[in-house]
Amino acid sequence: MLVVVCIKQVPDTTQVQIDPVTNTLVREGIPFIVNPYDTHALEEALRLKDRFGFRVAAISMGPPNAEATLKKALALGVDEAILLSDRAFGGADTLATSRVLSEAIDRLNRQEQVGIVICGKQTIDGDTAQVGPGIATRLGYTQLTLVDRVEKFDPFQGRITVRRKLEGRHETVEAPLPVLLTVVRELNRPRYPTVPMRLESEQATVQVWSNQELQLDQNGIGLKGSPTWVSRIFSPQREKGEIVGDGVADPAGAAHLLVDKLVSRDLLVV
Amino acid sequence: MKALLIGEYRQGKLLDTTYELKAFADRLGADSVMLLVGSDADLPKYEGRLYLADAGKYGEYNPDLHKQLVLQAVEKENPDCIVFVHSSYGWDLAPRVAVALKAGQVSEIVALNDGAYEVNACNAKLRRTVTPKGGLAPSGACPLAVLTIQAGAFSPSGEPQGAPQLERLELSGTASAIEFVGYEAAEQKGVDLSKAEIIVSAGRGVGKKDNVPVIAALASALGGELGASRPVVDAGWVDHSHQVGTTGQTVSPKLYVACGISGAIQHLAGMKKADFIVAINKDKDAPIGEIADVLVVADVMQFVPAFTAKCAR
Repeated sequence: MLVVVCIKQVPDTTQVQIDPVTNTLVREGIPFIVNPYDTHALEEALRLKDRFGFRVAAISMGPPNAEATLKKALALGVDEAILLSDRAFGGADTLATSRVLSEAIDRLNRQEQVGIVICGKQTIDGDTAQVGPGIATRLGYTQLTLVDRVEKFDPFQGRITVRRKLEGRHETVEAPLPVLLTVVRELNRPRYPTVPMRLESEQATVQVWSNQELQLDQNGIGLKGSPTWVSRIFSPQREKGEIVGDGVADPAGAAHLLVDKLVSRDLLVV
Repeated sequence: MKALLIGEYRQGKLLDTTYELKAFADRLGADSVMLLVGSDADLPKYEGRLYLADAGKYGEYNPDLHKQLVLQAVEKENPDCIVFVHSSYGWDLAPRVAVALKAGQVSEIVALNDGAYEVNACNAKLRRTVTPKGGLAPSGACPLAVLTIQAGAFSPSGEPQGAPQLERLELSGTASAIEFVGYEAAEQKGVDLSKAEIIVSAGRGVGKKDNVPVIAALASALGGELGASRPVVDAGWVDHSHQVGTTGQTVSPKLYVACGISGAIQHLAGMKKADFIVAINKDKDAPIGEIADVLVVADVMQFVPAFTAKCAR
């Protein structure tokens, strides 16, 4: 059985800066990382490999430099890494992205039966949470989102029981394979690559599949296959607040002014 | 323009967020119809057609069956857009529906902005405006738009009213691959800060665990709940159930008082929708000052007791 993990290279959003003049994203010098949720997806796949000896393939759609992300996956122990990269895939929204990824998974499935696909619950740059479910629907796999625990997994019966993290409670569901899971951070603690593995991964090859391999209709992929478009990206503005009183020299006086302010706004009754 | 609103029903009750869907449709200027997999025992107050399917039969959430029910309502109504709340329910169901219809999806809309939807990006540090090709809801055409709205972003203007015009939905079968095993309460019987009107949060600036009760006392003097930033929770000073921010709860109270919180992006993302933000911090240039309405430059442990005393007088 093959386990497939979908990963994405994303800008490290803790370091994202906005150009104050143009109010647009500054792209220079922002480091790229593996989408943090995807690292938990990778870890879960590797645990299945450790327990059952399944092979694990990591796939990613992105520009040629996303190869670095897949090398990291190889250093952690995935058996196969495939970069889906083609100019024709560029400018894709989530619908067009799930088209490419599901085709790649289908192609892998023809070589070795895919039992589980694991994705992070969302990416930290797009925040849409649509691609995982999109893949599941396209492939007809059972979709289990927001998984925070794999309760039971029986590859012989072909069934999996997971716990899903909902608002203020959990839900346990059971489903037949093949399944697609999207996972939350609470699921596991990702391992670090060992030094020998990291050195080895430097030499390992990341396969690159372009549309030459996938043969997808151009109308369903990239910009053309995308029913939504992003018109603008900007930083939400809020007026800077005023400083009330002198809280260092006169805390009581400042407290008095603050109370008055809250009372005048109907936020406090004294 | 016609919107199909997908209401939500959990553990035997209609969820209030269902009314936010109607508020969103009103803001969009759209006519609406609603679908609810719920029960006659708890129907929404709604003026319009309500497609009702029995949760006893189709589950409070069975992804396969609920998808089929939505698609059935789409076929009957031919809406221009389908709107969900961006809860775990909409999270799971909306993209299934979108891909089944080959529709574009816009997730977690926080505002309407001149012919485009505004959504969060990069952990809510940035906003994006996204438009389905052909407009907000491309009229009568495929691809129609599947939308999810952020809970709390579109509040109903008044008390919801009206009695829905019921139409029952049935599926020919109830076979599904997914089997519901059970619910389980979250381990930490947490505080639901998302509903609190007043939140007073403790940050690293409170200095040590022994000082947390001082902040809690202010919270109780104001009639609010205690919140906390991540470092304070990580240090074990306050339980995780009180954490505000991207790895905690997202809140939108009327009043948010940040005590000794510098304002890391992850924290700001969780509380910046508060109507009124008071920051108490010894550094006047701390990032929290950028979004606060009022900043008190002071040592938290000196100022907060004085403030609490004035509030409680």
